[in-house]
Amino acid sequence: MKDPYEVLGVARTAAPEEIRKAYHRLAKKLHPDLNPGDAKSEARFKEASGAYALLSDAEKRRQFDSGEIDASGTEKPHERYYRDFAAEADAGHPYENRSGYADFAETNDFLAELLRRQAHEARHARGRDLYFHVFIEFLDAVNGATKRLTLPDGGSLEVAILPGVLEGQTVRLRGKGAPSRGEGEAGDALVEISINPHRFFTRQGDDIHLDLPVTLREAVLGGQVKVPTPTGSVMLTVPKGSNNGAVLRLKGKGVVRPGGRGDEFVRLKVMLPSESNPELEAFLSHWAPGPEYDPRRELQT
Amino acid sequence: MIIDMPDFLQQAQLDRETLEVWIEEEWLIPARTTRELAFSEMDLARAKLIRDLTKDLGVNHEGVGLILNLVDQVHGLRKTLADVLCSMHARAAPDDADSSRDENRAAP
Repeated sequence: MKDPYEVLGVARTAAPEEIRKAYHRLAKKLHPDLNPGDAKSEARFKEASGAYALLSDAEKRRQFDSGEIDASGTEKPHERYYRDFAAEADAGHPYENRSGYADFAETNDFLAELLRRQAHEARHARGRDLYFHVFIEFLDAVNGATKRLTLPDGGSLEVAILPGVLEGQTVRLRGKGAPSRGEGEAGDALVEISINPHRFFTRQGDDIHLDLPVTLREAVLGGQVKVPTPTGSVMLTVPKGSNNGAVLRLKGKGVVRPGGRGDEFVRLKVMLPSESNPELEAFLSHWAPGPEYDPRRELQT
Repeated sequence: MIIDMPDFLQQAQLDRETLEVWIEEEWLIPARTTRELAFSEMDLARAKLIRDLTKDLGVNHEGVGLILNLVDQVHGLRKTLADVLCSMHARAAPDDADSSRDENRAAP
């Protein structure tokens, strides 16, 4: 690492103002973005910035002058400058400006022909892709839907949501992006989908899961109960003696997938009456289930 | 990579008001989304350039627009020049191939 005073070209006694001026002078000359074709300018600019970072900080300068620290360690990590992006960017990027040679394109030689072709290409460059993010309802994601997006400029965009769309999936709408700045095709609109959670359905892959509250009577004696599914309610037969937490499957009532639908899994949740029920209490206090009924047998040590 | 507004402000060390002025001036042209602006890494590098110009190089508001316009033109010209060179090489190459074939034929 070079001596920072030498890098900035100032005396060791230079006042802070002199150091600042010296750095500004160098930075104007060396900034990589003001020297797009000069690979060496980056290294020299970094050197100057490093030296300035050290000498513009009074405490660091004092430590350096007294030999407590050396000039290394002030170098900035590698940074990508604007010029790197401008050099790599495809035609049609928002900052492109190739208007500086139109006057050459009038003559008849090979170079003029090339410039004309290039101007033609620039004119026909595709518009930019635009990115959108939309939140849709759970059931719209399962069953499919058409959503209308309102854009910041007041326009709107119709998005067809295919049944079974996943969280984070992106829908590409051809030609709905930014228009070409010339006569080319418009870019695409890329719409990322987020799915709002549902009040009682959850989704795992192509399957729907649901906790279904049932009465004690339904659990013990069995019976028909109405169960919501993404496509409407169906009647489900709860078998006699169904336990709390038992899972019943409704085949084909899940999310649309190629060749059919996933399933809906219904987990029974036995609910006691919310208020105390003297009849039930009286019955249970006289009820003896027998020695076989010990639900905590497994927990015995 | 898409950078959202809070990340962009943090990485470019900018406040929101300044950013809005820069966008208003079209120094920065981020992509739009329904809810917010979406920035690219190119936008970030450009914001750092603007910051360097105003903070370290003492360029005033009018100067920044002028410099960006010229920088954009320089990049446009550099790209054009690259295309010209590329085209010239493409034109030169087939001729070379032809002449070398002729030499081969003439050799025996």
